[in-house]
Amino acid sequence: MMQKKFDFDKLEIELPDSISKIERRKFLKMGFAITGLLLGGKILSLTSVVDKGYAFQKEKYPYKPHYSMLIYQNRCIDCELCMEACSKTNQVPSYGYRTTILQRKMPQAIDQQIEFIPVLCNQCNRPPCVTGCPTRATYKDKRNGIVMMINKKCIGCKTCMTACPYNARYYNEEKHAVDKCDFCYGSRLSKGLTTTACAEVCPAGVRIFGDLSDPNSEIFRMVHQLERTIWVLRPESGAAPNVFYTRG
Amino acid sequence: MKNLKNLNVLIFVLICIISLILPNVEVTKAEDIIIYTKPVKAVSFNHKAHSEDYGISCNICHDKIFQMEALNVEKSNDFNHRSFSKGKYCGACHDGKKGFAMDKQCTKCHIGVKGLNTKAKK
Ligand code: HEC
Ligand code: HEC
Ligand code: HEC
Repeated sequence: MMQKKFDFDKLEIELPDSISKIERRKFLKMGFAITGLLLGGKILSLTSVVDKGYAFQKEKYPYKPHYSMLIYQNRCIDCELCMEACSKTNQVPSYGYRTTILQRKMPQAIDQQIEFIPVLCNQCNRPPCVTGCPTRATYKDKRNGIVMMINKKCIGCKTCMTACPYNARYYNEEKHAVDKCDFCYGSRLSKGLTTTACAEVCPAGVRIFGDLSDPNSEIFRMVHQLERTIWVLRPESGAAPNVFYTRG
Repeated sequence: MKNLKNLNVLIFVLICIISLILPNVEVTKAEDIIIYTKPVKAVSFNHKAHSEDYGISCNICHDKIFQMEALNVEKSNDFNHRSFSKGKYCGACHDGKKGFAMDKQCTKCHIGVKGLNTKAKK
């Protein structure tokens, strides 16, 4: 019996109806199969996050360097060396954190039932904290995309803390200002070091820090792979975060 | 009267024997769960499950792979994954054949600082 030849060009790819035609085309062009994940762990959407990870359509990555972090979620063992290194490097008091580890328990799961999820400021391209700040004490640095703080402008109203989708800010009593992760810009990058304290210390290679605008960087190569599923936390916030998650 | 005296002696002897045996029983029994915090916090090893539920006999692990002393192995500076992948320590079995492999399912062994803290509270 003759088998009808399969026409791959006309093959329709099924995607959820909620995704518009344009989005669908964009998605296919990027070639990513990407799932969104809420902090609580609910799978939200099937959209390309790299697509959502930048603000301007023409320019792919608006900053040079465009600092970002990729997190291999399944490798995290909650040894918390990253938190220790961060606190030491950036003088973070014990009541606050610039990065922390969340834990997700899945008692119904077969085999491993706990997953540790490192979180930090996502250095969003559309940062709700910056939009919310009444005194412009927090702003998006045009040089590198990092969301910075000017402590003396901060009035401690904590609007930014409420606005942040990632709970990545705390009020620092000593500084009399809200404090947050700056990808170690103040403590390391501005002094010529090339990576953050947390990424450097991690014994399991969970955190890959780098410049997403550099096609030769490890993070660029890892994020732009067809086979690799990449997601961000809380994509529905529309903040266009620059911290990506994967497994592998 | 004589019988009662004999009984007293018998009880005394019995107590002596029991008190001699009891500590010995305790010495040969390991803690159910041993938690390692070096080199990283924290890994949980269920001794009871390994020796009872999985039916592994004592002499497979003792003393070829591990000493009969909790946390003794932490003193070796090669108690890490490089050694495991060469078949040392936990890697003697957790190679994907005798036991599950160590290159995934990290949190089956690694309970982390959070696991350590909840264990400490209990
Ligand atoms: C799967 C391997 C394994 C098996 C099987 C096993 N053990 Fe162990 N045992 C260990 C490890 C690992 C330690 C801790 C050693 C260390 O931390 O250095 C230990 C420790 C001990 C200790 C010291 C506990 C303490 O609190 O100091 C005793 C006693 C012991 N085992 C007895 C036994 C006996 C008896 C059996 C058989 C019923 C047995 N073990 C079977 C792996 C095993
Ligand atoms: C003598 C062989 C042997 C050694 C050595 C050994 N294991 Fe195992 N382990 C097993 C077997 C067999 C199982 C059960 C089958 C399976 O789940 O792979 C098991 C299961 C486990 C489990 C699964 C428990 C669960 O939740 O179901 C953990 C965790 C574990 N081992 C940790 C360790 C750690 C940590 C070490 C080193 C300190 C170690 N094992 C050393 C053989 C061994
Ligand atoms: C079968 C149990 C087991 C599994 C599975 C396992 N580990 Fe471990 N791991 C250990 C033990 C035991 C130690 C040494 C004790 C300690 O550090 O507390 C250790 C130590 C480590 C260390 C510090 C020492 C080193 O080798 O650098 C890192 C990092 C680590 N594990 C990462 C991981 C990651 C990542 C995974 C998953 C891909 C993983 N482990 C899976 C048992 C395990």
